[in-house]
Amino acid sequence: MAYESPHSVVYYDPKKAYEGYTLIDPLGSREAYLIDMEGRIVHQWKFANMPALNGIFLPTGNFLRPQQTPLGDEELRIIGLAIAGRGGEIVEVDWDGNLVWKWEDLYMNHTITRWSNGNTMVVRWYRTPDEIIPEVPGGFSRTELTVEGNKVMWADGLQEVTPDGKIAWEWISFEHMKPEEWPICPLCPRSEWTHANSVIEMPDGNVMICCRHISQIFVIDKKTGNIIWRWGEGELAHPHDPTLVSNDNILLFDNGGHRQDGSNISWSRVLEVNMKTGRIEWEYRGNPPMEFYSALCAGCQRLPNGNTLICETMVGRVFEITRDGEIVWEFVNPFYNQWLKDIFGRTNQVFRSYRYGPDFPGLKGKNLDPNNYQELNKLYGPDAQK
Amino acid sequence: MTQTYIRRKHSVTHYDPVQAFNGFTLISPFGTDDAWLIDMKGHFVHHWKMPGFSCELLQDGHLLGITKEGLVELDWDGNLVRSYKDEKAGKDFCRLENGNTMYLRHIPVPTGIATKVKGGIAGTEKEGMVVDALREVNPAGKVVWEWLGYEHLDPETDSICTVCHRNEWTDGDSCTVLDDGNILVCLSRTHNIYIIKKETGKIKWRWGVGELAHPHHASMLENGNILLFDSGLHPYGVMPAGFSRLVEIDPKENKVIWEYRAPAALFFYSTFMGSCQRLANGGTLITESQKGRVFEITDSKEIVWEFVSPFYNDHPLYGHNNILFRAYRYGSEFPGIKGRILDTSKVEQANKTYGPKTFIR
Repeated sequence: MAYESPHSVVYYDPKKAYEGYTLIDPLGSREAYLIDMEGRIVHQWKFANMPALNGIFLPTGNFLRPQQTPLGDEELRIIGLAIAGRGGEIVEVDWDGNLVWKWEDLYMNHTITRWSNGNTMVVRWYRTPDEIIPEVPGGFSRTELTVEGNKVMWADGLQEVTPDGKIAWEWISFEHMKPEEWPICPLCPRSEWTHANSVIEMPDGNVMICCRHISQIFVIDKKTGNIIWRWGEGELAHPHDPTLVSNDNILLFDNGGHRQDGSNISWSRVLEVNMKTGRIEWEYRGNPPMEFYSALCAGCQRLPNGNTLICETMVGRVFEITRDGEIVWEFVNPFYNQWLKDIFGRTNQVFRSYRYGPDFPGLKGKNLDPNNYQELNKLYGPDAQK
Repeated sequence: MTQTYIRRKHSVTHYDPVQAFNGFTLISPFGTDDAWLIDMKGHFVHHWKMPGFSCELLQDGHLLGITKEGLVELDWDGNLVRSYKDEKAGKDFCRLENGNTMYLRHIPVPTGIATKVKGGIAGTEKEGMVVDALREVNPAGKVVWEWLGYEHLDPETDSICTVCHRNEWTDGDSCTVLDDGNILVCLSRTHNIYIIKKETGKIKWRWGVGELAHPHHASMLENGNILLFDSGLHPYGVMPAGFSRLVEIDPKENKVIWEYRAPAALFFYSTFMGSCQRLANGGTLITESQKGRVFEITDSKEIVWEFVSPFYNDHPLYGHNNILFRAYRYGSEFPGIKGRILDTSKVEQANKTYGPKTFIR
């Protein structure tokens, strides 16, 4: 049936694709995988918990993974945050899965980045003060959370955590945001003001954040905490995953949920915006536009050969395009599970995916023989579900 | 979608002859002037030249359609039987038992009323706002009844979807005349379906906003329930997820009593158009319009037939698409088809180029 797409790698052009290994860490999964260009599993990590919402393979060869800890009734009562994007802990493991570092935080969401100084930047939730909540414009009325009888709107903030567990820097959004300047998307719930989903280190040490509910990216001056640059109003709709691809250009995934273009089509795009001019210099959309859409999550990675790896989370599709928009590699995640099964039934979602070239330092000296995973490859490899 | 649209299998990709409701399926590929009848295996058995993408087969074997120019009725062989000119014609129509035709049309909203209509993105009605209206014409082309949306809809509570544009108030896509003469309409942009009283034009019943997200194609079932396609675009107060569902509502209790979601819900999604037809055996034929996909489920929600349209063309907004607005199944006993010789030689070229043998990749 067309409904049952073939899985694993469904298209591959070896002449045009960027050779390497792709990280697949499915939402709701307690295993993460590296696959080769044909779709064969060459490495597997196993974990006690599900990702929040994907792991990152580091140049050191370790695997850094924010994870979702089980939520007890007491914790749920306190935070009211039984939402899919919550975390609870970060683990760093080596190639063989041995624990190297761990950090626990009930209030962390799903956004972390390893900073160049070895610290880990963690996005976490802070309760918007009661007197500020009514001043935050937008969002769908009366959709704030109720926690212990109180109306709650979660805002975002950051903690920079050192390897020995100290907080080296902290930033809280409502200490630097005037509510009237940061309205929530009119259809989104007011349970969260901003919903940060990405944090990256700028070359000058400043901090870039991407927020879904306000559909913007912005830069925080690390020394003062002031927001010194912002972009996206009127252009973006629930964006994710900005990365710096040149001195001036940011690559990001513009999801398209609640997009106000009047088309009544749900469509996503990956775009490159020049930070100095605010102009979009490159863009990819599906053709037809409805072919490429991830309402939530999703990511994009610029590859050394100029191609872009795109992770279309909601339908478990990871694909690689040339700059001209030609698809040269396409993968449909064969790992289904019960992530959010009450809403979605079966899912094969992948939050973000990364390609590592053969020269990636973390792969040096590693055993990448798919024969180490014969049983897994029989079930989930390229020959399994065609 | 789980992979690039054109990389999918096309034509009939699944068929369970025992459980499916056997017959013929009418499709009218978007962007073409063609209407086709196909058999359960995907062979083309009949063709009409019908401009516009919304058409139905009548009991007498005529094809009735609505186009940009108005209503068009062809006989089985494609000869023009009658037409009714109306440049404001909309997306759907209903042939009554007395031979009249009720249909949707778009009319401008008077400025004084348009400014009162709540919702939508401010400033997006620069070229004016249109609203749906109904018109009933008799076979001779005389207008026998009209209903103007702006005279009966409530500008405050029948508001435009919060993130839609204000160029259209209602964006209606289905109208059905009920046994009692009242009219069931789906006015998607308000997230509501309505029953309009024929005698007075007043709205007798409305339902949807807060429950539905851009509904399409509401129809009345024999059991008195209403079946519709809930697209899932722009749900209120929650994060958008990206899946559609079918919903069967009991209009007396205002309750959803049956729902269909795909087993992997996110793989079934059409933000525009979308249709659903309850079949005589209790199954349902569903059109996932944006993907050009038609599939049939049993009453226990098992997929027993699937068709993916092989007709692609290019559109400034929809790109390289194989969109199908609707599909209708007619059983072999349907009067319009029964007894007719279905001569595939007349559609030989289509079968060569788009039939199941060619197109299953």
